[in-house]
Amino acid sequence: MKKYCLLFFALWVGVAIAQNKQVLYGLTDAPQSLMLNPGGIVPQKKHFGIPFLSQIHFNGGASGVSVFDIFGESDVDINTRIHNKIFELNPTDFFTATQQLELLSFGWKNKSGIYFSGGVYEELDFITYFPRDLAILAWEGNRDYLDYPFDLGEFSFTADLLTVYHFGANKQVTDRLTLGARVKLYSGLISFSSTDNTGTFTTSLDEDGVNVYDHTVENADITVNTSGYASLKDLDGAGEVSSKVLGRSFFGGDLGVGLDVGATYQVTDRITATASILDFGAIFYGKDTENYQASGDYNLNGIELIFPSLADGEAALPYFDNLEDDLEREVPIDTLTNSYTRFRPLKVNGSLEYGFGDSFGGNVCDCLNKGTGGVWQQALGAQFYSIVRPKGPQYAGTLYYRRTFGSFLTGKVTYTVDAFSASNLGLGAVVDIGKFNFYITADNILRYGNIAKAKSVSLQLGFNIKIHEQ
Amino acid sequence: MKTNLWLPFAMIVCLSTLLSCVKDTDFDQADEIALTPVVELDLIYFTLTAPDFFDSITQTPRLTIVDTTEIRFLDDSGVQENLKRAEFLFNFTNSIPRSFEVDFQFLSEQNDTTYTTQTTVNEGTVEAPELTLFTENVEGEEILQLTQANKVVISVSIPSADQSLEGMLNLQSKTTYFLEIKD
Repeated sequence: MKKYCLLFFALWVGVAIAQNKQVLYGLTDAPQSLMLNPGGIVPQKKHFGIPFLSQIHFNGGASGVSVFDIFGESDVDINTRIHNKIFELNPTDFFTATQQLELLSFGWKNKSGIYFSGGVYEELDFITYFPRDLAILAWEGNRDYLDYPFDLGEFSFTADLLTVYHFGANKQVTDRLTLGARVKLYSGLISFSSTDNTGTFTTSLDEDGVNVYDHTVENADITVNTSGYASLKDLDGAGEVSSKVLGRSFFGGDLGVGLDVGATYQVTDRITATASILDFGAIFYGKDTENYQASGDYNLNGIELIFPSLADGEAALPYFDNLEDDLEREVPIDTLTNSYTRFRPLKVNGSLEYGFGDSFGGNVCDCLNKGTGGVWQQALGAQFYSIVRPKGPQYAGTLYYRRTFGSFLTGKVTYTVDAFSASNLGLGAVVDIGKFNFYITADNILRYGNIAKAKSVSLQLGFNIKIHEQ
Repeated sequence: MKTNLWLPFAMIVCLSTLLSCVKDTDFDQADEIALTPVVELDLIYFTLTAPDFFDSITQTPRLTIVDTTEIRFLDDSGVQENLKRAEFLFNFTNSIPRSFEVDFQFLSEQNDTTYTTQTTVNEGTVEAPELTLFTENVEGEEILQLTQANKVVISVSIPSADQSLEGMLNLQSKTTYFLEIKD
């Protein structure tokens, strides 16, 4: 049990709102910004990501707790701190981790001005909500919670490991409007999910006079779906498991399709609006699935003895076996092999920015026209981000300042507010040295002095070759 | 001027990313983490009637009746390691005009006695049933003995019985388990 606690409280590194790449969004000098808005401005003519290094991305986090909250040096006993945290957290608080590794990335502009881009990346996405009631039950027991219905439905998590193949097109369709779309083919490698569970467990004084208590499970309906896991159970060692999972990467897993769309609209010369919808799609799990399902109602009053008249040597009645049989009959746990569909976590981005910059003085326009659209030397803007998660959408808002220094460096500073943090500052930089392009973005930088205090940090970096139009 | 800014800017990003650290933390505290749930759980219950203590076929009293049930969770290795104290509550309601001796004998899987306790139930009447509460607190060395058991034998003894005896003996019981779960 302690290990589970440690796991919970150790999963802190990352962003509070998973997959929000607020620093990279709109940083059009990094070709990977096209993955966040397929309708973004594309300044280059071609790009090639350095294989396996074009995007390394990790985030994960806890919405309501940091490592320091639990393991910080303190006079307060650690168990008291955990106890307090359990009661402070809500069932909508979550622990999350996302990791992406781009294996291949490329893009080119054809003669019609359409920028085609494609690639392959691997993604691990995990979220578990904090099952507060179950944590209270484990930490405190039921003695002080008579008549309190512990909510079994708070048990909710998803974990997916997949490879994504994608290809998209981007075109400036008018002077002011750029549109883009990207088709994705998902190859699911391993998936675990348990969402939309229901049920309560209550201990209450027995009013019928049968025994002291009624221990009642009501409306239990709990399902855990797995795919790609059943066939791994019998494999011997990590080597065999890795090789089996990697073998699925190339369309060997369960397939799914998805769509990204995005747009950039020049409202005025200085005001630009963008929007994108990502991962509108699903994976259809049908191979190697295993589902575990428990449902029903049950009331436990203990074991009733009937004192039968037994002859010498005759076995006692199997009361305990009968009780277990009753439980299995009333709340059966079935192992099934049903297919199921998992919708990808839909993401929505939006931004509005004001471009400016007259550092040369006078009325000289300081915007850097790199091709398909104008990018001002400086910009102030606001971004919106939302991701659909099992217990509903999560939101984040970001204010940012972006500045281009010369022709080789663009920097961006972000301030992000979400439901769980109002002190998240991010920094990002894109460097172009000749045809070599490097970008790095990180958020929650105020916490880097002592990362244990961060509920969230995020990091993306990558290397590309970019070729501009001459 | 502008071109001179990129270096400090990039350094801030890189330094903040690469030189981040964890401090003022003590992960050895993990060894002190202990869950201490207190779990209330029903145990056994029964209702015996006065005729249960008289064999109408042989016309002889049955002065002691016995039943046994497994309680397999008690000698589970997790319970053995983590159970610090157990408090049994036996709640008797007796409307039979006799007192009873009730023995609880806990046995291991090999039927060795690991723990015993007993109580006397006061006599009552049909008109005025008598309540007898019996609590048994088990901790320390005794808890080690108790958690070797996976069954309990309950013996209910009556000093005398005849065909005319009326009333019933009811037992409700629960156990409070005080756990301390460490790694």
